[in-house]
This record gives sequence, structure tokens and C-alpha cells, in this order.
Amino acid sequence: MSRLGIFVDRKTLSNSEQLNALIRCRDVAEELGHDVDFIFPVDINKIRRMDALFIRARTDPMNITYVAARMAEFHGIPVIDDPESIQICSDKINMYSHLKKKHVSIPETVFLSKHDLTVEHVAHLFDDLGSPLVVKEPSTSFSLRVEKVHDVAEFFKVARRFIKMSDWIVVQQFIESRYDWRVGVLDGKLLYACKYTIPSVTFKIQASVNGHLVYCGVESVPPERVPPGIIQLGTDAGNAIGKGLYGVDIKNNNGDACVIEVNDNPSLESGEDTQYPLVYEKIVSYLFAK
Amino acid sequence: MNERMERSGILKPDGILPPPDSGQVCGMYQNRNGKPVPSQSAAIPPVFKKNGVKPPIKRDQALLKDSLYIVRRNGIHHIISENYYYKTEPYYTILRLELEGKQVEPGSSSVLDAYLIPLCLERAASAGIPSCEWGISQVYVPLPAILYGLNYFSTTLDYFVITDNEKAKEVVRHITNNGKYPFCYQKYPEGSEIHTCTAIFGRTIGACTAVADYAQKIYGLFRIPLVQLVFIKTGTTYTLSSLSPTRYAQLSDGERALLCAYLTNQDFL
Repeated sequence: MSRLGIFVDRKTLSNSEQLNALIRCRDVAEELGHDVDFIFPVDINKIRRMDALFIRARTDPMNITYVAARMAEFHGIPVIDDPESIQICSDKINMYSHLKKKHVSIPETVFLSKHDLTVEHVAHLFDDLGSPLVVKEPSTSFSLRVEKVHDVAEFFKVARRFIKMSDWIVVQQFIESRYDWRVGVLDGKLLYACKYTIPSVTFKIQASVNGHLVYCGVESVPPERVPPGIIQLGTDAGNAIGKGLYGVDIKNNNGDACVIEVNDNPSLESGEDTQYPLVYEKIVSYLFAK
Repeated sequence: MNERMERSGILKPDGILPPPDSGQVCGMYQNRNGKPVPSQSAAIPPVFKKNGVKPPIKRDQALLKDSLYIVRRNGIHHIISENYYYKTEPYYTILRLELEGKQVEPGSSSVLDAYLIPLCLERAASAGIPSCEWGISQVYVPLPAILYGLNYFSTTLDYFVITDNEKAKEVVRHITNNGKYPFCYQKYPEGSEIHTCTAIFGRTIGACTAVADYAQKIYGLFRIPLVQLVFIKTGTTYTLSSLSPTRYAQLSDGERALLCAYLTNQDFL
């Protein structure tokens, strides 16, 4: 019997939706005939005894999830998310560079080094990309450290904060939309699709508004109701990163679809897969087929 | 990123990229019409002569704090920097060259491994380098031990040798940000001491044979031109504890001379 390790941390278990999603994953794997172990960071040495590893914790090359992914790789154990995907998706400079290299449509994007932070430069950016601009610290996730700025002064206020965390930042043309498509991609193929409806009080999928966290709405959409161009763009974006599991965020403004970002370790606990009951089965089968 | 770098056009074949006062990779970006927009840091005066025989480096003008050098030999771009931390200029320089399909040392994945203690030690041990046993914890730690943070804000420069429980509680609280993150611990045998050594392209100045040999092997693994090796020395035995960045200012005269020799092509890689 094969053993699946599900790597989790305290945060993964911080709410009932996440816990239920993990239990669902465990049940599916067991129904497929595998043993399942939940692995916490302190148990990281157990990874070498697993036959496959599924990471369900916030990934970053600077934290324990990257260690878990690399440990699995050292021991020849199939892993989602693989270290390379973590390295690419956790850093928007790296991620957008991969998308650009493969000619995947993204908003107009400029990478700005701390040495390029001059009034002249920034004024050029507003001239070229329009106003407002979106400024991103490269390792942002859940829309943290993503800000919309309307003028040079506002730009510097945000950029100075972000540049303390990264020598380069991302500056992007703002694209308005009422909702984002989220295309789940596994092994370069469509896994699921849903819509994230942006709350009217913000432009992000998650934001703090007047001290309260505001989340986007999630609507799982069956494949026949997803525009083929969106599916194609999503799978193209996934393939530009690798062959793992990704959640591709797409804005489709006036038919001009573009990728906003590619996430490794995409959320699966908010109903993203309601219309796709085989999501966990496909993930587990993919891991053991590798 | 690619277009920015192509436009900087400073790299010479088999030569040395001059050390900018602000990082040589900051070139230009293009606006949407493909028109180049100049960067303030695009024009960088050369400091080193290509294939120079005499080192034109004076102590006050070269190896400046935070400066970064690219030495190209046999088609490989060697990135020389005081540190290679994630999301820094050296890291992005490596990444940019990798994305351009160029051979670059160290690789971006290598520098991540080098600065993450468990990965560094796993790789070192598998290459036959005596390495400390390690464990991950969030609260408890068997003492005496050496502790390293394992999170976004920690660096391998910050390690703590802990021998008593009171100190352990305080340090653990600090490096875990009150229990938020895990940390890495290693056994620290009684009577041990920390021994550090700087390796320049795998070479050391004044190190004993064992450490010099490990330095070479570590360079073979991670290909980091400038790195500090941290060992736990117990009796006459050295076990690797971590790899960490080092400042040019901390180099001895001999180490500076050795690094400058590499930079000026006197010492062949």
C-alpha cells in the first residue's frame, strides 16, 4: 500500500473549511487505496518514508514548505508543489518573467529595481502605463502588499515600503474587473474553473476594509460554461510554469483576457471545485502516477 | 526582466562586469512602444581592465559594500556578491541570467538551498561532508544546541548557542516570533566551539587541511564564490553547521587579495 503525506501547518488548520478540505483529500486518497499521514513541520523527517507528498500550507522559498518540497525531491518522492513551482510562483518577478518568456498575455508589467526609484522614472511609468498603477511586492499572496496608486507621491509612499522587503518590485497597468476567473491546472490540463467575485469595496480578492477582512465570492463554473479562450489561457499559463498544480487568475475585460497571476498551492476549500467532484482524485492519482 | 538586462549591455566576453555603485544590472526598461527609458544607474564606469595582468583594484575603490561582480569564464557567469539572499539584486541577477538560458554560478536554487539550514546540511551530508544532525521544532529543544530561525525574516548569520532552559525559552520566543514559525536546532556537544572560515571559490586562507578540503567540496556543491562556513568544532573534528554570507570588509588581507585575483583574471577558475 502506498503512503501519501499531506504536509500541513497550524495555519492550514485555522478554519473549518480548510480542515474539511484536508479530510476530504484524505478520504479520497484512502478510497483509492493509499495510507495517509498528515505531516507537520516538526515531523519533516517522515517525508523520506512517504511515496508521495501533497503540500497544503502557505508556500515560500524562505519557509519550511520549501524545505519539505526539496526533501521530497532529494528522495525521489513525487511532490505537489514541487520546489521549482514554489520558487517561481512565490516571486512575481520570477513568475511574470516565465509568463513573458512563453508569450502568455499579462497586463503591461515593469520590474523596478530600488536603484530605478526616481521621480523621473516613476513619472514615465504613469505616462506609459496610465493611471492608476498597481504596485506589487514580489512575494505577495492573498493580495497582501498589492496597492493601487494614482500619482507619483502615492507611488513612492507604497514603493518605499515594499522595497524594504525586496530589491525589485512589480509595477503593472491596472485592469478593472468585477470578477476574476480562477482556472485550476494540473499537469498542463484543466482541473477546475471558478469565478472570484471582487467585493465592491476593493479591487482585490481579499482585503482589509475599515479593519474588517473582506473576501471575494466564489462560484464554481462547469467547463461548458467557461469561455474556451479562458481555459486555453489558463492552461498556457500553467504550462509556462511547470507541470504541477496551479490556480491561474485571469481578468477578462472587454474580451481582452490576461493572466493576473499563477498561484502554486491554490485554495480548494472555498467551493472552487463544487462542479468538479474528481479534483482530489485527479491530484492523488497524478502524484502516484509520477 | 529580459529586455531590461539586454539593454544594459555591459558584460564583456570573458571579462568582468564592473562593480557599480548601485548594482550593474539596473539598466533600462522599455515602455510599451519599445522606446528605452534610461535608468540613472545604466551608465557605469568600468573599474576593472579586461584580462588585466595587474590588479587595478585599490582597497578604497573596489570590493565596495553591496557591490556585485560578474566574472565570465569558459561561458559560465560567476556571480560574486557579499550575499545571495532571496529577492536581492544578486538573486535577481542570477535569475535573469538563468531565464536568458545562460550558464550561471551559483544557481538560484543553489543559493536557496545554501541558506536554508536543513537543505544545506542534507546536501552536504550526501556529498560526504560531516554535517550536524538537525531537527525542526516550534517549542522544545534538547540542550545544548545551536538554534537557527527558519522563516522569511531569519538569516543564517543569526544563530544562537544555547546551554540553559531559561535562555532557550527567550531565544525560541524570538526566532519563532512567539511560536508563529518553526526553527531548526542542532546538537552542540559539550566542550565544542564555533569555528568559522571564509571560502573564496572553494579556497581558504590559513585553514587546516580538513576545513580546506570541506570548503572545496562545499564549493563543488553550491558553487558560491564567497561564503562563510560555520562549523562546530569538537576536539579535532569539524561538522558543518551552516553557510552564511560574508562582508567584503570582513575579509582578511589575504582573502581580499585572493578574491581580487579571481576578479582580475589572475587566478583562473
